[in-house]
Amino acid sequence: MTKFLRAVFLVDLIQGLWVTFRNQKPSLVYTEQYPAERPKVAERYRGAPRLNINPETGETLCIACNLCALACPERLIVVTSERNEKTRRKELTTFTYDTSRCMFCGLCEDACPVDALELTQDFELATYTREGQIWDRQMLEEGPRPTRYTH
Amino acid sequence: MLETVVNNPWFQPLLLTLIVILVFPLVAGYIVLAERKVLADFQVRLGPMRVGPYGFLQPIADAVKLLLKEDIIPTAADSWIFWLAPVLSTVTALTAFTVLPLGPGIHIADVNIGLLFILSLSSVGILGIILGGWASNSHYSLLGSLRSAAQMVSYEVAMGFALVSGLMVAGTLSMQGIVQAQQDRQIWFAFENYGLMLIPLVTYSIAAVAETNRAPFDLPEAESELVAGFHTEYSGFRWSLYFLAEYGNMFVVSSIAVTLFLGGWLRPFASIEALETPLNVGFPVLLFFAIGAGCGLGFLRQKLPVNKGIMAVLAGGMFLVGAAFLVPAVNAKIIGVFWFLFKVAVILYCFIWYRGTFPRFRYDQLMSIGWKYMIPIGMGALIVNGVVLLVK
Repeated sequence: MTKFLRAVFLVDLIQGLWVTFRNQKPSLVYTEQYPAERPKVAERYRGAPRLNINPETGETLCIACNLCALACPERLIVVTSERNEKTRRKELTTFTYDTSRCMFCGLCEDACPVDALELTQDFELATYTREGQIWDRQMLEEGPRPTRYTH
Repeated sequence: MLETVVNNPWFQPLLLTLIVILVFPLVAGYIVLAERKVLADFQVRLGPMRVGPYGFLQPIADAVKLLLKEDIIPTAADSWIFWLAPVLSTVTALTAFTVLPLGPGIHIADVNIGLLFILSLSSVGILGIILGGWASNSHYSLLGSLRSAAQMVSYEVAMGFALVSGLMVAGTLSMQGIVQAQQDRQIWFAFENYGLMLIPLVTYSIAAVAETNRAPFDLPEAESELVAGFHTEYSGFRWSLYFLAEYGNMFVVSSIAVTLFLGGWLRPFASIEALETPLNVGFPVLLFFAIGAGCGLGFLRQKLPVNKGIMAVLAGGMFLVGAAFLVPAVNAKIIGVFWFLFKVAVILYCFIWYRGTFPRFRYDQLMSIGWKYMIPIGMGALIVNGVVLLVK
């Protein structure tokens, strides 16, 4: 009897309508308007690599020990250095990092003894050419510069 | 000079005809925008946001896209009928606007067979869908049009019974006359006969959804089964004609429901004198001021100067319309139109609401609802209402 009355008065349909109706709150909206609105990236996200510089002197933190290149399973890091005859220290000349082959495993940043190489939370790595995917020392220090569409 | 033009008996019909032909496509575009926005609300999304502030210019972008698209006629199609079918659908849908009573005395034509005229036009409109599907010479189109033919024919009967119940109470087929009868009897026909008229109203609303091929009865264009049903092979302008026809039909069936059951251009509680000012002045003013305030908020949130400008114009326009309702002379002229369009908008919202809520029926379920439930219920309601009317 109850079932019959429910069917006659379309109770189930009205319940369904109520479910959709009460869900139309702006606070529930899940859409993220990506270029206009920056997404929140997880704390442990590994994205674009960065070669840190000492903020006070502006010199690189990298000691050109080559440990990152050795740790890299993809062998995509190439470090070249020069011996400074005065200080008897190795000085970094070039540092290339091929992001097109990188799987963002983070082994290079783990291997770095001076926290110079770091995987940041930047995720906009797209380029128009394959060559653009190979980052040189300048790019690694300055970080990627994607087009900003926010207004 | 202007007096003679305005007082000419042809002035109002011609003006309204022009408005229907020129403005309704735009209105249909904005109904689509509203549909996409409301559906997005139900589905916890945002909907169109990129074209103009909050996607406000999306319909215009869509219209430009549709008009500029390549117009394809399949080689195997019957090009003459392929050309004719969308025209048939659109013309019938727009012709049905002629008898709608938009307000007291505001109509293109008040013919004494008004409702019958709309019913017959909607039957001809089906022909456009059948011919379009058949002339496309494609399996999907043909299946879609066969389904729509079967669906519309079966639901037209249920709809007819529901309408006849309403007509019995009204005692006239003229659309203006039906509203007039409700005014004379001081009651919306939905609540006439001790509430028994609610049954035809519910029957009509369900049949109307099926009649306009809307979800959950949108089998003729079920995307997951038939690509796009009868208009699979249509593109560009021809497709947009079908589109226009669908939204025109939605508007017309909502208008019939409003006219026959929900008091047409009468305000709610038309019999209670005390509510005259709050409902006829307070409500529209508050409504338009609230929308205006919303647009003002949008103006503050937008950052692009263009978007800010559009929002400012919208807010200003809404406040102006709201203010117009405060002037007694203007109010008397437009309050009927306001109530009519407001009720139609509420019903259109319900159409979208159903689409956002109910899953599509299977074909046999659709037919069994139509023939086993809707038609008997419609007949029963007709008999019961007839007896009650006779006894009363």
